[in-house]
Parts: sequence; C-alpha cells; structure tokens
Amino acid sequence: MPLRICRRTALAVLTCLLAVPAAASGWSVTHTAHGAPLDARESTAAFAAVESVRARLPPRWRDADDLDVAIEWRNDLPETVHGRAFGPHLRMRRALLAPDDAHARESALLHELAHRYDRSTHGGLSRDARLRDLAGWPQRPLRLGTRVRENAMRDRSPDAYELTSPAEFVAVNLEYFLTDPDYACRRPALHAYFAAHFDWAPSAADCAAALPFVEAEASGRETPLLPLDPARVYAVDYLLAEGNARPMSAWGHSMLRLVICAPGRPAGPDCRLDLQHHRVLSFRAFVDDVQISNLRGLTGRYPSRLFVLPLDQVIDEYTRIELRGLQSVPLRLAPDEIASLLERAATLHWSYDGRYWFVGNNCAVETWKLLHTGVPRLADARLRSITPNGLLRKLARSGDADASVLEREDAVRAGFYFPSADTEYQALFDIARTAQALPGTTVEDWLASEPESRASWLATTGQRDGAALLVLEHAARRRNELELRDALKRRLLDPRQAARVAPAVATLRELLAAGDGLSRPAQLIDGGYGLPQAAEQVVLRDGVDARALKLRGLRSQLEGEARAALTVEEQARVAALDRNVEMLGARLRALHREAGGLQLD
Amino acid sequence: MMVRTAFVLLLSGLSASAFAGSFAGTSAGASSAGSSGSSGSTSGDDKVVLQAREDAAGFVASDGRIRGARLEAALRHLRASNAAARDASDLEIAQAILAR
Repeated sequence: MPLRICRRTALAVLTCLLAVPAAASGWSVTHTAHGAPLDARESTAAFAAVESVRARLPPRWRDADDLDVAIEWRNDLPETVHGRAFGPHLRMRRALLAPDDAHARESALLHELAHRYDRSTHGGLSRDARLRDLAGWPQRPLRLGTRVRENAMRDRSPDAYELTSPAEFVAVNLEYFLTDPDYACRRPALHAYFAAHFDWAPSAADCAAALPFVEAEASGRETPLLPLDPARVYAVDYLLAEGNARPMSAWGHSMLRLVICAPGRPAGPDCRLDLQHHRVLSFRAFVDDVQISNLRGLTGRYPSRLFVLPLDQVIDEYTRIELRGLQSVPLRLAPDEIASLLERAATLHWSYDGRYWFVGNNCAVETWKLLHTGVPRLADARLRSITPNGLLRKLARSGDADASVLEREDAVRAGFYFPSADTEYQALFDIARTAQALPGTTVEDWLASEPESRASWLATTGQRDGAALLVLEHAARRRNELELRDALKRRLLDPRQAARVAPAVATLRELLAAGDGLSRPAQLIDGGYGLPQAAEQVVLRDGVDARALKLRGLRSQLEGEARAALTVEEQARVAALDRNVEMLGARLRALHREAGGLQLD
Repeated sequence: MMVRTAFVLLLSGLSASAFAGSFAGTSAGASSAGSSGSSGSTSGDDKVVLQAREDAAGFVASDGRIRGARLEAALRHLRASNAAARDASDLEIAQAILAR
C-alpha cells in the first residue's frame, strides 16, 4: 500500500500523517490531526483502536475494496459529537484519544466506519427495504412506495440516536452487532439480517427459547408474564371479528390467534382444542383518558399497542358481549416463519410506541405490517389493505390463508368459526316454548320482559328447555350489564352528578394508568435494550405482579363504586337477574341428580 | 365517559378491557353461570369445564345440534382426565357439565 498524503487545503494547519499497515485488509486508514500533530501516545492509541476495530469486522467488510478512510482527529466537533463521516473522510473527536477512553474511542470509530461501509457499494443496508421494515420505518399503506418518517420503535432502544435516520440506525446497530454478545438475543431479527448480509456472525450468547410477553389482562391469579416458546405454537390464525351494523365497524377487527399447545402435548392438530392456552395478538388503541374522543382517534392521538390476550376472553368479548362472529383462518406458515413472526411480535411488544389512526394505521395496517415484517415472504404490496376483511380476502387469494376451513361442516366445532351468541337465541327460545307456553313469540319479547316475570317459568322447566332458558338468562344479564354501563357512562359525564361519581372517575383513571404499564411493558423495567434477558425478567416479574394485583384491586373497587352509583331500581334488576341465573342453575343440578346423571366429581 | 364508545370500540377494538365486566355491577361474566362451584380459585382443569358451560347448555337444549369448540375441548379434556366420563356419551357429559 502506498502512503497517502492527506492534504486538506481548507485547513489552515497542516498536519502529520500516518499510515496503518494494511496487512489483512483491502483498505487503508490514514490518520491526521487538526491542530498540533498527534503525539506519540495519541498515535499509538489511534493505531491500536483501528486495529482493534478491524479485528472485530466481518471478513467481507475487512477485506472489501475501496473502503479506504482518512481519519482526522479534531478538537472542534460539537460537544455531543464523537465523529462524522463524509465519504472516505472521517472526523473524530480528538479527546477520544485520551487514555481512559478506549471503549468510547472504538465505538465511535466503528460507528463512523459503519457509515463508510453502508454508503459504499458493499453496504447499502440503510436503503434496503427489509432493513427499514425491521428498523421501524415501514411503508405507508395508502401512499405507494413511501415510508413513514418517524420511527416509533422508541422503547428499549440501546441508543435513541438510532431513531434519527436509517443510516444512523445501521451504524448504531452494527456497533452492537459487532460488540455485544447479547445482541443476537435482544434483537434477533436484526442479528439474523446482519449475519445473512455478511455471511458471518460474531460469537453470541445462547438465547432462551421463550420470548417474553406480558398479558394485558391476566386471568385469575396467574402472573401476567407469559414466556412463549415458538416451538409450542402449532399454528397462527388470522382472527377476524366480523363487522356489524354500526357504521365504521363494518370493516371488522383483525387479530392473530396463536394456537399454543397445552404443556406436554406434541405440536400438532390436536393443539387446536387447547383453547385455554391460546393467545390473541390484538393491536388496539390504548385509551388513556376517561373520555374517548373520535377526533383523537382520527388524528392519531391514541397510542397503538400490541395487546396479548387470552383467546377465551376474546371469544367472550366479541361473541357474547358485542355479538359479533369470529373467523379463525389458519395462515400457511412454516415453523421457522411462525418463530420469526413471534419474534417480531415480541419486538413490537417491547419497543413499539406507535400512534393509532383510524384509517392510516388501524388494526389491519398494524397486522399487515407485523405479518410481512415477521414473515418476509409476505412482503408483497398486493397484500396491503387498510381493512381487516380486505386483508383476509387478500391473504386467502394469495394462498397464504386457508379460508376453506370456514366452509367445513365442523367449522364451529373445530374452532374455526365462533358464531355470535345471538344467532341461536330464537331457536333456543322456540325449544323452550315447546315445553312450556311461554309468553310472547319472539326471543326479543322474552329478553325484554321483567326478570321477575320470567322467574316462575324458570322454576318449572325440564332439563332440555331449562338449558335453553339458561343461555337466554345469561343473554339477558349481559344485555342489562351493557345498558347499565351506558347509563353509568352518561352519569359520569353529567356535570350535575360530578360529586356523586367522582370516586368512580378517579378509580377509573387509576385503572387506566395501571393498565398502561401492562400494555406497554417497557415502562416496567429499566436497563438493557430490545427483548429483556433473564436478569431483567426477574426484576420485571415483581413489577408486573404488583401491577396486576393493583389492577385487580382497582377493578373490584370500581365495580363496587359503579354498583353504588346505580339507582335502587337498577340494583333490584341486577339482583333479580342474578337470582334467576342462580335458581335455574340450582334447578338444572337438581334435575340432573334426580335423573341419575353422570357426576364429574 | 366514553360517549361514543360503541362506535370506537367496534371499529378498532380499543382497549375495552378496562371496562369489560368492570362496570357490570355484578361479578357475573360468562363463566359464573349460576354454578355452585364457580367462585373461588379455579384450576386450569376446572376452567376448561367452566368455559364450556354455556356451550354445553346449547348442546343439551338443541339435542346436539349446537356444538361449540369450547364444549368439544371440555369433552376431550374430561374423557382424558375423568374416569367417570371416559365411556359416557357426549350428551351425558354435556349434561354433567351443565349441572356443575
């Protein structure tokens, strides 16, 4: 390698020049100084830093052509800047050559060399669509070919500077890829991306098989921490909550259902009935205020969060409370694709702090982004859709989703379709009417009647019609709950009632604040970046359990306060409905015993 | 609160979780079903059966026509774990679930 004379005419002070022997490398490094020449100690430090960094580089990078750099050590860089790269010219902070700064020196050098590499014909990483997807600059669904400007992967970032631009993202992440053995476990998809690019990876830590998730709504007394081993996930279904008559819900809601196998069951079709182990990934706007505003939803003022929910809860919410059907359509994914999809979901869960836009960034858009970033094969613009049912249609058309399950005779029985509970209400009422001459002809009449007027009929049922009426009593009770909820909401907003409902509003605010932590779990731990590793998870467990306990307490407090805010008539109606359900339950148990039916315990 | 919740919730699946069940004024929810054994702690096994209770009611009422996945899951679970249920018919088990 010839010595290179480094001469910047713009500089008043000309400097010394040093060349690094380029033994195992395809490119050379020269050092110059701005101001006084580098002294012996500085020169040694500069040389050593370059050699140490070079030794870390992937062979393809180290041996590449045309990556020569001229480093100028300067005293006049702004306070916060360690280095800058202008093509082959790197300006580095001279103070970094101080004896104690080896780590900062090498990081800064690596960072600027990464810019040099990225901008060369060998690199181009920051312009790559895949990198931008992984980094958090996804395509916009509505404007073809454009990407969002702001990176929303704000939480648990190793260095917020990476969010500045794709070029900075690449430089920061190459630093971590090359120097942090945990990078493979904390940012697995990016690690895999760089490893594939260089066809080489530095030695890395062994990663735990399970991905950490926090459930927004842990059932019972279980901890909300959910370690999820992708190998235990037999399938992923596109879960569509069908639209209903309400104006903007005609589009439905899109979610992903994880078919998780019960412990001990080998992954296979049998896992489809392990319903209580299944979880749902659902992007929802997190409403952080007592009052919901449509305008805020349209203008992106609500955070968009990836919620992890038990399937059982989702079935109840949609089919029994909102009375909407759920279509569960299997996606055709290989096991390694399921694993990378879940990895992406975990990454979003811990790092994503996006905004919800009813049109431009709704659940369908979020789900589409998750699918194609998690499974690069699906990164096909033709799949793009801003509506949940549109996305399903496109996935089915491309063969990536198997919608034929919905036509199967056993679609309901096998759990591919969960019909809205009210589809059978009339049929059940007709069954009950064959046994007793119930008043009215439609189930609506029956459900709208006073609970007390139904009680005498419930007391005289047989087993079969009693079963039918039990379903209807539950329906009546849920309907009453919804009506009360609406009434309470109106009361909470009514300034004349402000004093009376103040405790409930305060509790609700607290509840929302506590729920915030579980839906954005990065808030619950400090330290580390990306996916939390073992030590962070220990800390996390305490925080999460305490939060869940608080949530449960607040919820029952709110229940009490809400109950107190009911009128005497409303309370009487609630009690009557509860009595009906209790009584009918007792009657069915008695009939079963008398008939000598099977006893389970 | 949430004046137009319905509109918002249905479109986007907003975080309804804070409200689901908490404003009900009862501890009800779908799972209690007037069952004597429904309160207190429920093990994972009991949960499968409890969750199937409304499905089981539909099955018994319709003489097997209405047959949801939760009932299916409970039938499989009980046949595998409960000696009494092993050789019983679907209807017998559904009746037993309903009578829990």
